[in-house]
This record gives sequence, structure tokens and C-alpha cells, in this order.
Amino acid sequence: MSAPLNPPISQAIRAEARKREIAARRRSGRVALLFIAPALGLVALFLLFPVVFNLGLSFTRWQRFSGLDEFGGLMNYQRLFMVPYFSDVVINTAMWVIGAITLPLAFGLGLALLLRGVPGEGLFKSLFFLPRVLAPAAVGTIWFYVYAPDGVINSLAGAAVGQDIDYGWLFESHTITPAIIMTFVWQTLGINMVLLLLGMAAIPRDPIEAAHVDGASSWQIFRHIVWPLLLPTVFVVTILNVIAGFTAFDLIWVMANGYPAQRSLSLAVYMYYETFSNSRWAFGAAIAVMLSALVILVSWALTVMQSRVEERIR
Amino acid sequence: MAVDISDPAFIETLKRRERAGQKPSYLRLAIAVVLLIAYLVPFYYLFVTVFKTTDEYLRSSVLDLPTSLAPFWDNVVQAWTLGGMGRASINSMSYAVLGAGLATALAAGAAYGLTRLKLRSANAWFMLIFAGTLFPFQMFLVPLFFGFQRTGLINTWAGMVLVYTAICIPFPLLVLRGSFGAIAREIDEAARIEGASEWRVFASMILPNAKGPLIALFLIQFTFVWNDLLFSSILAGSPEVRSIMVALQALQGTYSSTGPNVVVTASLISSVPTVVLFIFLRRYFMSGLQLGT
Repeated sequence: MSAPLNPPISQAIRAEARKREIAARRRSGRVALLFIAPALGLVALFLLFPVVFNLGLSFTRWQRFSGLDEFGGLMNYQRLFMVPYFSDVVINTAMWVIGAITLPLAFGLGLALLLRGVPGEGLFKSLFFLPRVLAPAAVGTIWFYVYAPDGVINSLAGAAVGQDIDYGWLFESHTITPAIIMTFVWQTLGINMVLLLLGMAAIPRDPIEAAHVDGASSWQIFRHIVWPLLLPTVFVVTILNVIAGFTAFDLIWVMANGYPAQRSLSLAVYMYYETFSNSRWAFGAAIAVMLSALVILVSWALTVMQSRVEERIR
Repeated sequence: MAVDISDPAFIETLKRRERAGQKPSYLRLAIAVVLLIAYLVPFYYLFVTVFKTTDEYLRSSVLDLPTSLAPFWDNVVQAWTLGGMGRASINSMSYAVLGAGLATALAAGAAYGLTRLKLRSANAWFMLIFAGTLFPFQMFLVPLFFGFQRTGLINTWAGMVLVYTAICIPFPLLVLRGSFGAIAREIDEAARIEGASEWRVFASMILPNAKGPLIALFLIQFTFVWNDLLFSSILAGSPEVRSIMVALQALQGTYSSTGPNVVVTASLISSVPTVVLFIFLRRYFMSGLQLGT
């Protein structure tokens, strides 16, 4: 009695529409590739290809004047462990990694808790963050003189104890790495603090206020409410810090400029020294591969831990 | 724990607690001020040193105030000429503006292709480009040095612009993929039905909607390129193309014959652009931090 609301569409029309849709999709995909091409091309040429090439180089015997086409197997990888001052490199790099994981986070967290809600919070934040926008080379230059025998640290310490001090912080093997790490902490605690404050701002107020009403102490509130909810941010910050610790270069290169054993002050500095001062290209490539493996392994482990923590919060 | 909220004693304890919660903020302010002063000591050193002559620097304590402000200009002129900082700052400024600008633009184009068009396996393309940032910079040094020597790009201005552009692409791509993905689909679909080309949609619909992230990303990458020492020291050591940080580094060091006052002045000069940008565009810097996490 009544005609169907939708007149039957013929098979042919449906096939035609489908064909058109596929064509439009293909065209859209081709245009998309055009948009991606310049970025992809540059990244492939300057980043991706070098990674593969570096891996290949690390298995050759290439050094000054010879060996680019000679296969060396794992020679360069074994060589690193036979370097006489290898243990110094390992100890210094370990100090950097441990220092970078713990100190900027501890100072940043302390400052974040201290500054939260203090009058002029914004100004404090900006001033503590400021060193971050300076170049490590500029920061290292200033701190080189801060640590100098006639520098700021010795003048202040000398005034405190009432006698002249001319200790060479950057010339003694016991103090040079801790001293440079403290400069690193000075430069990075600001960004740690700002990221942690952002994380704290995202924590809901209700459970904190409820705990407060129930008579919980500030420490209990921090320990049982703030810290667990802040953990995802702590992991993000830690990943950034640990990569910076493993790859420490600029500050050491500038502040230990002239220190006799500069090359042993971190794995990244050692790699640079062997490659560009000693022209051991293949060896340098192998050190870079090992450094990359360490960095990727540790940041992967931290990412896994982070996602576990986030699951638990939910 | 059941409480009687009409109990005046209970309300009194609540009020006391609240007051106690506010009061220590002055104590905290005092602690914060003390810490800030200690934190800023290196800046104090910087500002008294740039006003001293070398002779004055060596004779007096490093913490003494300068006797006159006049030596500042002489220090600037010395740093500028001895360190070749004029040429170096023009080089670095062009690397930073072009590298950061091109990288942000190309990343924006790629993000548009990945999020707004019907690209098959867009995720795989993204991962391919982003894979470049998984590795520490040390992984690129030997191949880039070798490749630049072979192709003659070493010690050239164009080579530096290209390498900085490439390094600065993956991070903005990560961020912009998120920002573009969050823009409503109706906007560009309507424009396409009206017959706008993809380029029009990209340039006049999508880009203006992501102005904040684009500015923040440019600033972050500008700061990175301006501050870089590692790549420029390997790939561009010659005086005509060297960067400001290489110039600074050449002035400094244990065996440097230049007076500390001049070297410290040079480090101040090399920090001016990023600090000025930070002061005026602080909002974007701080929002840029959130982008990364």
C-alpha cells in the first residue's frame, strides 16, 4: 500500500559510490604524503640514516687514515672495557646518573612544597627557572670562576671560617665531578620544581581537605595522598633527568677545560674525546651505541614502571 | 569518625587549624627568600664582574662591588672583538630563527598530514619520524661528521641550518599531532565541501587554531639551537660559520689568556637573546613545559 521510504539503490549506483569514495581516500592519502614528505625526508637523512650508519661503523676498524672498509667485529666493544681508566669513566658516569636522578628531584620537590601558596609564588618560580634558559656553556663559564681558587665559593667559605681558602674544586679528582653535578642541579632544579608544581595542581583538593579535617598531619597528607598521586609526574621528571645524567657533556666540556683527565669525567665526554681528538671513529661509534642502549633501556624501564603506577592510581 | 558540626568547640578547632595552616606561610616566605638569595649568588658574581677591569678583578675579592660602572663597555668591546662574537651571534641567530622556524613549520605540515587527512597507517609514519629522538645525540655525531665531510657540508652555513632543522622536527611533531587532533573535524570538512584546497584548510583553518603551541614550540627550539655547543663544535668550527657558544668556549678555559671579567661578559652577551625572550614570553615557555609531558 505505501511505497518503501528508501527506494532501493541499484547495485550499480552503490558500486559507483564506493569507487568514488576509494578514489577520494587515495587522493587524500597522496596529499597527506606530500605534507609529510619534507619533514620525513630531513629526519630520514639527518637522523634515521645516521643511526643505522653509526651502528654499521661500530663494527669496522675505521680510525685515522684507515680501516673504513675493514670489518672489526666486536673489537670496538671489547676495547672499551680494556681502557686503563675505564673504571674512572664508569664511576664518574654512575655519579652523574645517581646525582641526576636524586638531587634535582629532591631540591625541586622541596622548593615546590615550600613555594606553593607563598606570596609572590610566580616571581619565585620564574627566578628559580631562569638558569634553565641559559646555555650550559654560559652557565659552565660562570661557574668555572665561581669554583676557581680565588672564586666565589672559596671567598664565602673563607669569610665564614676567617681564613683564606684557595681550594681548586675543579682541579682535584675528588671534587671535580660533584662540583660540576652541583652546577647541573643549580641549572635544572627550577624545571623540576615547575613540572612538579604542575603535577600538584592537578591533584584534587577534596581528599586533602577531608584528611585535614580528620586531623591528619601535613606529613601524613603528603606521604599518603600527595606523593602517590604525584608519582606519574615524578617518573616523567626522572626520565628527563636520567637522560641528562647519562649524556652529560656541555658543562663538563666547559668547566673541566684544561683538567688533565677530562676525558674520564663521563661516557659522553669520553666518546667525544676518542672520536674527535684521537680520530678513532669506529671506537667512538661503538661507545655511542652502548650509551644509546643504556639510555633506551633505562628510560624504557622507567616508562613501564610509570604505566604500572598509573594503573594502580586508577 | 562522627562529628557534630554544630559543636562550637569543634568549629573552634577547625578555625584554629585553618589559621595554623595560613600562618607559617610567612615563615615559608622568609625561608624562600633566603634560599633565593643563596641561589642567585652566581648572578651577583656575574653582575659585579662585568663592571670590573682585569686589574681590578685580580686585585680585589671576587665579591667586592666594582669601583665604577665604566669598564662595562670596554669589557663588551673586548669580548665582542677578541671572541669574534659579532659574527658568531649573527650566525647563531640565523641558525636559531631558521632552524626553529623551519622545523616548526615542517612539523606542522606533517602533523596536518597525519591527523586531518585519510592517510593509511598514519601511526607508523609518525613512529618513523619520531624514532629520531629516541637516541642520545652522541649517536648522530660520527655519521654526521663523516657525511658532512664527504658532501662538503662541513663548515657551511646551509649545513648547519639543515641539521638543526632536522633535529628540531620530531618534538614539535609529537606536540602538534596532539593539538591538531583536538581541533573539531567539522571545521575542515565544511571548508572542503566549499571547495577549499588542502593547503587553504591547513594555512587558514588549522594553523590559526594552534597559535599557542606553535609559539611555545618555536621558543623551545630557538633556545635549544641558540644554546647548542655539541653539534656546532663538530660541524662548524671555522670562524665564518661558528656559533656563539663555540665562540664563547674558545675564550674560556684554564689556559685562557683573556681576563675573567671579559670572559664572564662574553657569557652575559651570549645569554641576552634567550633571557629577553624568557622575560617577555614567559607564559609560552611555561606552557611549553606542559606540552612535553
